[in-house]
Amino acid sequence: MTTNPVLEITHLQKKFGHFQALKDITFTVQPGEVFGFIGPNGAGKSTTIRVLLGLIRASGGHAKIFGQDVWSDSVAIHQRLAYVPGDVYLWPNLTGGEIIDLLLKLNGARHTAKTDDLIRRFGLDPTKKARTYSKGNRQKVALIAAFSQDADFYIFDEPTSGLDPLNERLFQEAVLDLKQHGKAVLLSSHILSEVERMCDRIGIIREGKIIETGSLAEMRHLTRTMVTVTLGDAFDVTELAGVHGVTAGQHPNEWQFAVEDKELSQVMTTLAQHQVEALQSTPPTLEDLFMHYYTGKE
Amino acid sequence: MTRFGRLGQLTRLNLRRDRFRILMWIILLAALMASVAWKFEDIYGTQSEIAAIKGTLASPGIVAMFGAFSFKGKVTTAEIFANEMLLFMGLIQVVMNLALSVHATRGEEDLGITELIRSHAVGTLAPLGAATLELVIVNGLLGVLYSVGLTAANMPGATTEGNWLIGIGLATTGLLFGLLGLLTAQLADHSASATGLAYALFGISYLARMITDVQNPKLTWWSPMGWVEKLAPYNAANWTPIWLSLLTGLILLSLAFRLNDRRDLGAGAITTRPGRRTASAFLRGPVSLLWRRERNVIIAWLLAVMIFGIAYGTVFNTIGDILKTNPTMQQVFGSTMVHEANHQVLLSFTSLLAIVMAAVATIPGMQLILKLHTDETRGWLEALYARPLSRTTLLFSHLGMAYLTSTLAYIGGLGGIVVMGDASLTHVQDGISATEFWHGVAAQLPEIWVFLAISTLLVGCWPRLKTLSWAYLALGFISVYMGSLLKLPGWVKQLTPAGWMLRVPLHAMNWTTFSWMTGLAIVLIISGWVGYRRRDLQMR
Repeated sequence: MTTNPVLEITHLQKKFGHFQALKDITFTVQPGEVFGFIGPNGAGKSTTIRVLLGLIRASGGHAKIFGQDVWSDSVAIHQRLAYVPGDVYLWPNLTGGEIIDLLLKLNGARHTAKTDDLIRRFGLDPTKKARTYSKGNRQKVALIAAFSQDADFYIFDEPTSGLDPLNERLFQEAVLDLKQHGKAVLLSSHILSEVERMCDRIGIIREGKIIETGSLAEMRHLTRTMVTVTLGDAFDVTELAGVHGVTAGQHPNEWQFAVEDKELSQVMTTLAQHQVEALQSTPPTLEDLFMHYYTGKE
Repeated sequence: MTRFGRLGQLTRLNLRRDRFRILMWIILLAALMASVAWKFEDIYGTQSEIAAIKGTLASPGIVAMFGAFSFKGKVTTAEIFANEMLLFMGLIQVVMNLALSVHATRGEEDLGITELIRSHAVGTLAPLGAATLELVIVNGLLGVLYSVGLTAANMPGATTEGNWLIGIGLATTGLLFGLLGLLTAQLADHSASATGLAYALFGISYLARMITDVQNPKLTWWSPMGWVEKLAPYNAANWTPIWLSLLTGLILLSLAFRLNDRRDLGAGAITTRPGRRTASAFLRGPVSLLWRRERNVIIAWLLAVMIFGIAYGTVFNTIGDILKTNPTMQQVFGSTMVHEANHQVLLSFTSLLAIVMAAVATIPGMQLILKLHTDETRGWLEALYARPLSRTTLLFSHLGMAYLTSTLAYIGGLGGIVVMGDASLTHVQDGISATEFWHGVAAQLPEIWVFLAISTLLVGCWPRLKTLSWAYLALGFISVYMGSLLKLPGWVKQLTPAGWMLRVPLHAMNWTTFSWMTGLAIVLIISGWVGYRRRDLQMR
């Protein structure tokens, strides 16, 4: 099936003076897909998103949303787009309710029963002036406005950093609901468990470059599986090829080590000859992957 | 003593935090005072020069703006200097103090910095104490610099006592309003509201001073803003205003401390009330958003400018009647000539006030334009620009509101003067005619428009330099307002749009100048617009 991607970024670059904030960003987001965008602070996540919103202009490469240029067609794109920034700053002398309605009206949308439902579920008091809101409450205002909107593409830039676990779960449910309705979502996040749970594909950014994209399953093949094994004899597992970080366990003949994916079957065959008494293998978590890419260790 | 624990450290921190703004203010104010004093003997050195200006200074129009001062016997250069400069310098110093005091207290609290500081081992009253000390130090330093500058300038007629009286008098007046700012910062629950409250009280004090000065200068003792005039440094040195300022300041300060001690962090007696649950049908786009956010400020400006205009208008009958000062004139020249002379006086007075009104009316417009960039750096535009909203639409929303506000403020201010003034006249035919009024409006509007267009250009192309707008407006105002009193060379007036048009309705309206200035404003706006569409937005 060939569908046009919602978002298509090719070799995007951005320079601030002499500082090259984005060196090479390339990835796509398909309809009905939740794309996780992860990387440490200062790697270029927010800069990428601001280019996508037409707030800053790319120095090189292309970025298209709905097939339209993000800079020159930004107004047309924004008709069908919803965005929640990481740090939500609101006009201090307007109430949360007024801001939600205004943001909706600017998109030609209206305050509906769904909006009321969201306000109730997120537990926001819409009559308070924005200057009295905490960070989490300001984020709720932006999230309620975004989820009330019927957009085709949603961009969330670290949307849950100020939310409590209950609201975080509400957010995740709402995103999964969007996905079921065939919407595309770009989710930039630090909370790797959130990304792991919700995202179909992931892009990892480091120092202005996308260094890996793919599904979590695909990425796992690029790293190592953690194995804990108890053997019936005194075989020394350090003799095996493709095995790293071997440590002796608490019990005799118990070992812990990491195995390169391509050596996994060979290692298992060898271990089987040494009377395996217990074996536990853990696939790498996103956090392991993240650390692997950033620190070069597993 | 623990309630003021680490007061010294916090004061040093305050001074370090505000070092640039303090330095700018001190350099600006001290240099202005010293350089004018330095030049003053050249301007008003001879008795004939002094005699000429003495008459001008006694006219109600000048009294309304510069204050009432009494001259006795032989008037010296220094006395003229004190008359022209004291109130003017006092006003600027009050503005400085209100900015510093609210910023150092409620401003820090709004940002959450006070919370952070109070979580450490500092006294509960130490942050307010540090703000107080900061004000004392800044005003004291300025006072000393003034006195030293005046001593160095050594104007004819200046005395050591007078020099120090000016320095200390301005320092205590400034401090008094600084302490008022500290008090309003305790009353209001956010800094914008504290600033507004302090400025309202300052405005009332200034208006009371102006009206009493024109009507009955003895009553000016009731306005703190009038005390600075009562110093009379070089003819009858009077230290009472200083004690009055200090005493009033101490009362305000003790109230501020008492309130600070009793209230919760972040709270204030004037609280932010809850508002609407949903937006009104009116709030639906960038223009209505700007209006919803700024309506209080805009309405306050329009009203304030109009009230000032009306207040100035009330003196029309006093100044516009030459017969009051010179009853024999009618017998010599006949009534037609007298009415013509009265009319000329009013034209001249209105033209002078038009300068003030134009400068004041430019301020709210400039704020609205610069706000477009302030909003940008505060992150408020990110939510807007993620919507189908173009840069052009938002820019012109701000521009439209700004131009409308400034234009209306100017018309309202000048209208207040003329309508109230004409109504107060015994002989209506002496007053300003409708044509003269509209020419007066048309003559100053291009100046306002060009100033606003320059701000637009800066916000569009070089937003980091946007503060220059204020400096340029201040230069324009000072050069034309003080220009003739200080006998500044003609080219200084030509530096800003404020000096490009001859004073109307005193002079005939020049439609050529009107056209090219309006054209220039349009060109500057278009350049700013092109720049704003092309540049990156600055985000947090």
